[in-house]
Amino acid sequence: MTPNRRDFLKTSAVGVLGASAFPSPFVHALSKSADAADTRTLVVIYLRGGCDSLNVVVPYHDENYYAIRPTIGIAAPGTTDLPEGERAALPLTRGFGLHPAMQSLMPLWEQKLFAPIINVGSTHPTRSHFDAQDFMEWAAPGIKSIQEGWLNRYLQRTSTPNDHFLRGFSPQPLLPRALRGDYAVLAAPGPGSEVAIDTFAELYECEGKRGGTTVDPATTEEPQTAARGRRGKKEEIPERPPVTEEDLTGRLIDAGANTVTKLRHLNGILRGNEAAKKRYPRGGLGSQLADIAAVIKAGQPIEVAAVDYGGWDHHSYQGGSAGTQARMLKTLSDGIAAFVKDLGPARMKNVLVLTMTEFGRTAAENGNAGSDHGHGGFMLAVGGRVAGGRIHGKWTGLHPSKLNMRRDMPVHTDFRDVFAETLAGLYRFDWKSDDFFPGFDRPARQPLGFLREAEGSRG
Amino acid sequence: MRPASLLLIALLSFAFLPSGLIERAPAQEPPAPGGRDAAPLDDLEQTWHALNRLAFGPRPGDVERVAAMGWRTWFEEQLDPSSIEDPAIDTLLAARFPSLSMDLAQLWKTYYPRYPEGFAELPEEQRDRLQQNRNRQYAKVQQELHTSVLLRAATSERQFQEVMVDFWRNHFNIDQKKGFCRLLANHYESSVIRAHAFGRFEEMLLASARHPAMSIYLDNEISQKPLTKEELAVLDQIREKRMRDPNAMLGMVAQRIDRHRGLNENYARELMELHTLGVDNFYEQNDVRELARILTGWSHGWLGDAYESEYGFRFYPEVHDADRKTVLGKRYKGSTEEEGVLAIRRLASHPGTAEFISWKLCRYLVNDEPRRSLVERGAEAFRESKGHLPTVYRAIVLSPEFIDRTAYRAKYRSPFEFVVGALRATGARFAKVDDIGRRLARMGQPLYQCEDPTGYFDQTEAWLDPGVLVHRWDFALQLTLGEVDGVRIDAKVFDRWAKGPIEENRSAIIGSIVPGTMPERTAALLARAKTPRELVGLILGTPEFQKQ
Repeated sequence: MTPNRRDFLKTSAVGVLGASAFPSPFVHALSKSADAADTRTLVVIYLRGGCDSLNVVVPYHDENYYAIRPTIGIAAPGTTDLPEGERAALPLTRGFGLHPAMQSLMPLWEQKLFAPIINVGSTHPTRSHFDAQDFMEWAAPGIKSIQEGWLNRYLQRTSTPNDHFLRGFSPQPLLPRALRGDYAVLAAPGPGSEVAIDTFAELYECEGKRGGTTVDPATTEEPQTAARGRRGKKEEIPERPPVTEEDLTGRLIDAGANTVTKLRHLNGILRGNEAAKKRYPRGGLGSQLADIAAVIKAGQPIEVAAVDYGGWDHHSYQGGSAGTQARMLKTLSDGIAAFVKDLGPARMKNVLVLTMTEFGRTAAENGNAGSDHGHGGFMLAVGGRVAGGRIHGKWTGLHPSKLNMRRDMPVHTDFRDVFAETLAGLYRFDWKSDDFFPGFDRPARQPLGFLREAEGSRG
Repeated sequence: MRPASLLLIALLSFAFLPSGLIERAPAQEPPAPGGRDAAPLDDLEQTWHALNRLAFGPRPGDVERVAAMGWRTWFEEQLDPSSIEDPAIDTLLAARFPSLSMDLAQLWKTYYPRYPEGFAELPEEQRDRLQQNRNRQYAKVQQELHTSVLLRAATSERQFQEVMVDFWRNHFNIDQKKGFCRLLANHYESSVIRAHAFGRFEEMLLASARHPAMSIYLDNEISQKPLTKEELAVLDQIREKRMRDPNAMLGMVAQRIDRHRGLNENYARELMELHTLGVDNFYEQNDVRELARILTGWSHGWLGDAYESEYGFRFYPEVHDADRKTVLGKRYKGSTEEEGVLAIRRLASHPGTAEFISWKLCRYLVNDEPRRSLVERGAEAFRESKGHLPTVYRAIVLSPEFIDRTAYRAKYRSPFEFVVGALRATGARFAKVDDIGRRLARMGQPLYQCEDPTGYFDQTEAWLDPGVLVHRWDFALQLTLGEVDGVRIDAKVFDRWAKGPIEENRSAIIGSIVPGTMPERTAALLARAKTPRELVGLILGTPEFQKQ
């Protein structure tokens, strides 16, 4: 005889394992929510593929711009008599405009909550997406032996025994690399099956791991075992010992324990978030931003959330004011605007949304109305602490002599300068004394200043 | 929680900890094979190891069968997939998946049928019908591929072939979401990946370079020589003309220039970074550009009239850059595709390629951190055999490193390996895979839809983020309950154990799915199952089943 589903659930979930023994997620939520008012949250949106920067912040004043981008260039603000379907850039500061598909960010610009950062990027010259992303997300350009995300590193260095369950979260199946590392960060593209959690909870959940952090940095050794050196050249890195079954078992149990505790907690928050999603653009990014907002609105002291938005490798048919990149920029901007609206001004005071990409693209368009892998890129900062209504970073023009290798946008601001300012300005984290960025011994003399010294900030 | 259960958990945790946490080896030099706690694998362990790494895990009965013949004998057989009889899968594929054996022109005609002449003038109802038919066919071509990939992985007797096809599918990744890759992937899988996975690397590389799916995926289809100054001047005139009159007519030369595209570096870069040499290994930006110039004009299309002729690789000499180029210190000049073929063959035989491919194979087959000695063994076999892949596989698999204790059960199953492993362990039958596909996507590995040209990773790190395990647990339970849509486990599978009380069958059931003795904590969970079905569901969700 085949047992029916109900019997199975009853025996395996309740009868066998005694689900009643597990506390409700809200017990944790209530016990820690007092911290939330104090919490600063960084939300990273990573544009994978190398988003073209010159059509996001359009240097329409530069005489070279239209010459090197004859088909994908975007007209200066106020240009009339445009061909049908084309639109002019939106006015930012003198000489620079915003891509017309990003209209929804303009109110934030006017309220000084939004600032682009230009010509920012890596000190390493690689044009490989995968190395460039790794170097940036580890915040360790050219150093293949680090291989832990800078956001994970922040969570590790600031960890206490009473850490909350959801200091870090990514609403997708796999973590962005910036969040990978020894600190257990939850990756969950929505709620997970309660039955599955209840059934396997006791097997995976180790005693002593119910508290906040499930990996205790104080007792965890330097990881010898992680699969690193994805494609690292072997001559650069000493031979690592093989991964053994014991290593893997330990990681499995850790991952399982964290799945149980953190997902239970998150399930309670995400249930019923469908209505909120209707106010976001349809599709992955909108839904993911809505989930992050739900966590913040639930009063969780979440410090880092990160989400990937892929598909920016526009080697062909990138388009100008309309087209592929335009459609994606609209989704991005509408998503950010919906997020800001969803949270409201009070909460946004403590939230910074930082959009970034591994590199910019060639200054000139290529033969396929697209652009190839370049060097200097851009970031977009949105939030109550942003020194908005200004463009940050240095502009040196599009003359070939000012370009990187006479072809790409140059890098004038090291991405680590932005990260450092974020750590110091948002979290008041002293990265200098912590030797946080390996080999970063020469930070910019002047901070970029993209974050304001917030009035009324605590501490 | 009651104190008693706390105590129980504390005891269980303690019982469990030694394997997981306490005994984690401190930082040290890599122990030599045969060193501390390195008891050699016994025959049974070696059999399990072979079935987990060189197949997608055992089906019921496989361990006994392979143990009886010796896993090395089994492996030699597997190294020559064409020698293995498998009428069941061959018949099924031929009958139900016609797209897999079609040439490209047939694929277009069948799964993206052309609308008849005068389509626009047809009554709306008739147009709708034609459109719906095309949409249905276009959905079907993808379904056939996904179903066949899972069916073969789960049920083919040529297991090692499936394992290696999965490797190369990721090595030469294409994404079905891009352009017509969705239509062309079926042919790509059969004519590039399967056709060469047991042949020479060089031929697979060349086949991938010439395939329309790769050409679309990495944009080489539109990479053309840069325009000359004269042509650029004409282009300017065209633009001016268009500003005055958007519908201005153009002459023949102007039309050609207007349609002209320029150089696109995308494929040339990945050809060196991902397919052959490894990232920034031996080559620089200038080599990328020069190689891209060599490959200008490599594209695809109908050789004659659309839908009336052959379809496939096409070289377009009029957009090929015939000037001089230099790649990796070698000079090229020519107006045909031959210089591209030469450049690709040189890349295939570059020593950096031998090492890079060997390293990836060792990581996939043996350990996330393969020993250098093993990588060198594989690279040497690659060099000496001129990239004959079965020779390289044999060198790696029949090495002492492969059966070293450190390799045993030290790799984490990727979502694909987990799902296929579970389907095999339960002898599940399935005819459609939509639900399995959705579940793979939730685990982060949708079939044939990896956006990054790296393909899916094969290391633990990529798949073990906290959170994702819940989808494996869910799959384990739902599979055994018959709740995964389209998948059924034959009642006989459980019935054969249902005769006696569960206590008498428990070890046999566990032992048919995972090797060795269960850690105490796992054993305690499994001891609570009341039926074979329940027990199997639990086993598939344990850490033991996630390891291979």
